[in-house]
Amino acid sequence: MITFSNVSLIYPNAQRTIVEDITFTVNEGELLLLIGHTGAGKSSLLKLINGLIPHHTGGILTGEISVDGRSTRALRPGELADVVGIVGQNPINGFVSDVVEDEIAFGLESLGIAPEIMRKRVEEVLDLLALAPLRRRNISELSGGEQQRVAIAAALVTNPKVLLLDEPTSALDPIAAEEVLSILHRLVHDLGLTVILAEHRLERVIGFVDRIILIHGDGSMDLGPARQILNDSSIAPPLVELARKLKLGDIPLSIREFRKNAPQIKESEVEPVRKAKGAAILKIDSVSASYDEGRKVHALDGVSLEINGGEIVALMGRNGAGKTTLLRCAVGTAPLIKGEVRVKERDPEALTDKELIEFVGYIPQDAGDLLYGQSIEDECDLADSDNGVESGATLSIYQELMKIPGLNSHPRDISEGQRLGLALSIILAAQPSLVILDEPTRGLDYEAKKVLIKNLKSIASDTNRAVFISTHDVELVAEVADRVIFLSDGQVIADGSRQEVLKASPAFAPQVSKALPNNTWLCLSDVERFLNAKN
Amino acid sequence: MPKVDTGSFHPLFWWLWALTILVILLVADSTLISFSVSLGAVALVLLKRSNTYWYQSFRWALRLAALAFVLRMAIGVVIGVPMPGQVLFTIPRITLPDLFVGVRLGGEVTSQRLSTAFDEAMLLVALILIFAAANALSNPHELLRVLPRRYYAIGLATVIASSVAPQSARSIQRVRAARRLRGKKSTGIASFRNVGIPVLEESLERSIDLAASLESRGYGYFPNPSRYRPHIWRFRETLALASPVYGLIFVLLLPALSGVLLACLLLIAVITPGFI
Repeated sequence: MITFSNVSLIYPNAQRTIVEDITFTVNEGELLLLIGHTGAGKSSLLKLINGLIPHHTGGILTGEISVDGRSTRALRPGELADVVGIVGQNPINGFVSDVVEDEIAFGLESLGIAPEIMRKRVEEVLDLLALAPLRRRNISELSGGEQQRVAIAAALVTNPKVLLLDEPTSALDPIAAEEVLSILHRLVHDLGLTVILAEHRLERVIGFVDRIILIHGDGSMDLGPARQILNDSSIAPPLVELARKLKLGDIPLSIREFRKNAPQIKESEVEPVRKAKGAAILKIDSVSASYDEGRKVHALDGVSLEINGGEIVALMGRNGAGKTTLLRCAVGTAPLIKGEVRVKERDPEALTDKELIEFVGYIPQDAGDLLYGQSIEDECDLADSDNGVESGATLSIYQELMKIPGLNSHPRDISEGQRLGLALSIILAAQPSLVILDEPTRGLDYEAKKVLIKNLKSIASDTNRAVFISTHDVELVAEVADRVIFLSDGQVIADGSRQEVLKASPAFAPQVSKALPNNTWLCLSDVERFLNAKN
Repeated sequence: MPKVDTGSFHPLFWWLWALTILVILLVADSTLISFSVSLGAVALVLLKRSNTYWYQSFRWALRLAALAFVLRMAIGVVIGVPMPGQVLFTIPRITLPDLFVGVRLGGEVTSQRLSTAFDEAMLLVALILIFAAANALSNPHELLRVLPRRYYAIGLATVIASSVAPQSARSIQRVRAARRLRGKKSTGIASFRNVGIPVLEESLERSIDLAASLESRGYGYFPNPSRYRPHIWRFRETLALASPVYGLIFVLLLPALSGVLLACLLLIAVITPGFI
């Protein structure tokens, strides 16, 4: 279906080639996973397939790429629209209508499909992606997960032979992600659709895929069956790492495979790590708030909670449950209807700008909002002076966090994950008492995630500081959180230790806990502690 | 057929409305009419208030209009050629090198000079407000669907141009909020770097993304595009467009009409579509 022969791509003035002399073939009806470090060129490879690169973005391409027998060099992406559907990383930027139904119909209108057939196709896709109840809704009012489903529906409606998806589940809660992936799985099996998927959270997709492309970031790549690639890849989901730790011979790709030949491990009492708790840092007292100024809809409905020093608290819940609004309360940017918010006994709205950055470091969902420098280096210097820290502090955190730095790049040109790393470095350098992160693992690879986890834990080792994260990433929660708060429809429905909350529902259970259901472990570091204690 | 949205006008309506009023303004060339048209535009937008992001951009248009007014007046007072009339006040004259023959900086400010500057400033305000109103009242995405698809580049350019202002108004709010998180309040000219540049960059990025999305969905590549939910130019639109057209006829045929009466008639002509 897709063939690459001796393809190289380089951007003018770039220091490295994105891909160099790669050759491979993707068969019809294959589900292919694209992995690689943050910024390695996964998105570029996807755009090569539908011709957006080089036709739309520029870049020097050599070699030959053909999709369904058509060469992407000769045809512009528009002429491939009936064969290839693509869903970008930020679907919101690519929407061309305001209403769900119209957005989905757009591709059909362009292809000139007759109205009667169009109507039928739209209905089918609405049903396929469970969007029928939302058909007349305004897209900008939908939650991230719903928008993602609309984008997939809009790409699928034309019945393409190839579907390209750039991190389709990174913004989704575990249940919505499961839905999207099982839909893809069904499309591959029922319709013979060829799907190529770039994804960082391998634990969600690994069970579905046929083969994996691993992009190394130096221009080379490997393509092979999932088991073979994961065998010696540094990018591996928790399940694979667990198997490595327990020295199981074969790499398991699903929980079922793992359990089949998993050793029974007798868990001896390992002293749980006791953590000292400090005074309350964030107090939220029966707060109700709305999404936007002037909107009557309540995003939060009588929420009360307290976060103490030395704690890492994770906020979970479905898309649109009010998580972001709750986080915004802590910096005083959410429109409160009633209730009271106190950060270290002070009202965040009344803090001066200087006090605010000392009290709270907040990374919004779109981390790019925080950035205004002209290069990564420039941005770090600006941050040093904004935060009043010694020069170079931000840069050194950034270099520790990110694998591929490229310090001269413009913050808009780097990948989503790198942007997040940059914003994170800026916030960490200011050393605020409360660090708030909204979806911090979007687009982050496993290694960057490990560094993030290390940093968050070191913050919380100080009893005067705390971390508050909103995330869909259960593996992250299992690793770092002391407490988990579960939000649903603007109300707190669970607030307890990660053990209680994560073990309670199968959808939110991390892989380690699913793989070893008879043990109390939730994450790799739990297992590691046990193994170390045993030896 | 899918349900046609009956609540709003055809996507092209407000642009045709704006063009008609533009002709009125240029033909009439009267300060009173500029003023009544500006007033009408503001009243109309308030009347059709909605919670959409393209509506929100009107606030920024008001600021732009105010800025244009102040700038035009200031230039009118400081720079210009000598004009007859009563001398109101005198500002010190700066002698320019011979290169700028005929241009004067400072000097006597006469009533004539002031009123010319005022007339032109009002015309500028009216033009800005009329097009801002069209921008605030029509949905840029819908515009994309009614433009002929064969001319891909034209459609794309129009949509990007008409969606930049409203989208930017939204970005400004967000980036400003984020700027506080970096410990910098942004006010005044200093905020241009902190807020202006990210907003411009973001709108550029969004435009590129939108263009990529249109391109990869085949916009403009296939010869006979079809319509899922056609926009129909109904009698309602014709009726609503009739009022500014009548306004134009008044201006053309009844030059003898008293200025105040004509201005009142035009005010009504501008606002009427808001009630249809």
